[in-house]
Amino acid sequence: MYKYFISICLLFVVAENFSQKQNKNTSLTEEKDTLVYKTNYGLRLGIDISRPILTTLNGGYTGYEILGDYRIKKNLYIAAEVGYEEETSAESYSNSTSKGNYIRLGVNLNAYNNWLDMNNEIFVGYRYGFSLFDQTLNNYTPNISDAENGNYFLADLNTTSKTATNLNAHWSELMIGLKAETFNNLFIGFSVSYKILMSVTEPEGFKALFAPGFNRIFDSNTGFGFNYTVSYLIPFSKK
Amino acid sequence: MKKITLLLLLVLIVSSACEKDDFCIQNPVTSKLIIDFYDDTNRETLKNVQRFSIIAQGETDSVFTNKTYNSISIPLNYLNAETSETVYTLKKNDSNGAAISNEIATFSIIYDTEEEFVSRSCGFKVIFKNVAFSSSTNSWITAFTPTTIINLDDQSEAHVQIFH
Repeated sequence: MYKYFISICLLFVVAENFSQKQNKNTSLTEEKDTLVYKTNYGLRLGIDISRPILTTLNGGYTGYEILGDYRIKKNLYIAAEVGYEEETSAESYSNSTSKGNYIRLGVNLNAYNNWLDMNNEIFVGYRYGFSLFDQTLNNYTPNISDAENGNYFLADLNTTSKTATNLNAHWSELMIGLKAETFNNLFIGFSVSYKILMSVTEPEGFKALFAPGFNRIFDSNTGFGFNYTVSYLIPFSKK
Repeated sequence: MKKITLLLLLVLIVSSACEKDDFCIQNPVTSKLIIDFYDDTNRETLKNVQRFSIIAQGETDSVFTNKTYNSISIPLNYLNAETSETVYTLKKNDSNGAAISNEIATFSIIYDTEEEFVSRSCGFKVIFKNVAFSSSTNSWITAFTPTTIINLDDQSEAHVQIFH
């Protein structure tokens, strides 16, 4: 059997040949396709469906988001998201809760060439984000451990909660995502974003660990986010 | 179909990326107390403590046992109070390993605490303020210097010198 292994492989080799040559002089008269496929323009409104699901699954998180976009050119959309998020960051040595509202404004550029009159998108986007929030340090344990002795002493838990109000964060965000029209004018979408924090007000004696809309703030002042959306297009015109 | 697989792939990428990425690499976060041991008669030279064991009062485990050191660094406790105290019991044995020749001394440290935020993964460090030392009289610790320090937040050099 193994002896013929290579020979068997050769069975699947396909060589494509065409034995007739088209005479250039007798080319068929091609008619130019004059049919123009029109697609809907209008305001698309939707919600993020991942956030209510996360709210029920994850006890430390509450959030919702509504979003909308408006098509201004064939492949250019003005887009915005507004929402509320509350998250408890349970770290090894601290426990804090951030909550507040946010807005993200920007544009989406559709990079996908639709076939016929389809209206799907693979887009790249930019957002400017702004968030106004409060952060409460619920409790913390000072870190008195070290590599040689581990936790030789178990430090007391400090339960004096401190709330910093009216904190704000500004950031820039690059997005990539897709939207597919499943039913007439109903879209489902998915996107991921990379966020770069421009400024954030830090609570006194602590650090903003989570900003609503921005998500977890990493040490490098960057963050990641994602959206699963369901949206409905209210068509204004067909172009 | 292709759309769904693409979507699933993206879901996978995103969900697998949600991990704790920053680890605390600072060691230690809170400064430990560094003690150097010097010869009582010749106060310029470091002197090893033989068969040295040390344990904090109220703890069941020793920091170390039966070691030979002339410099040690020991942690201080954080208590949720204005003023905290850590008391260490130090045992040495200069002659042989027999229990009868063990020499015991206590060294206590009284201080105020102040917490300072370091980072998400490291948490808060403790700065020890107005640190005062005392030792049991008539023990193998004959003297020590200094008796107080204002601020203990640095690991670069020894905080106390103990003569024995």
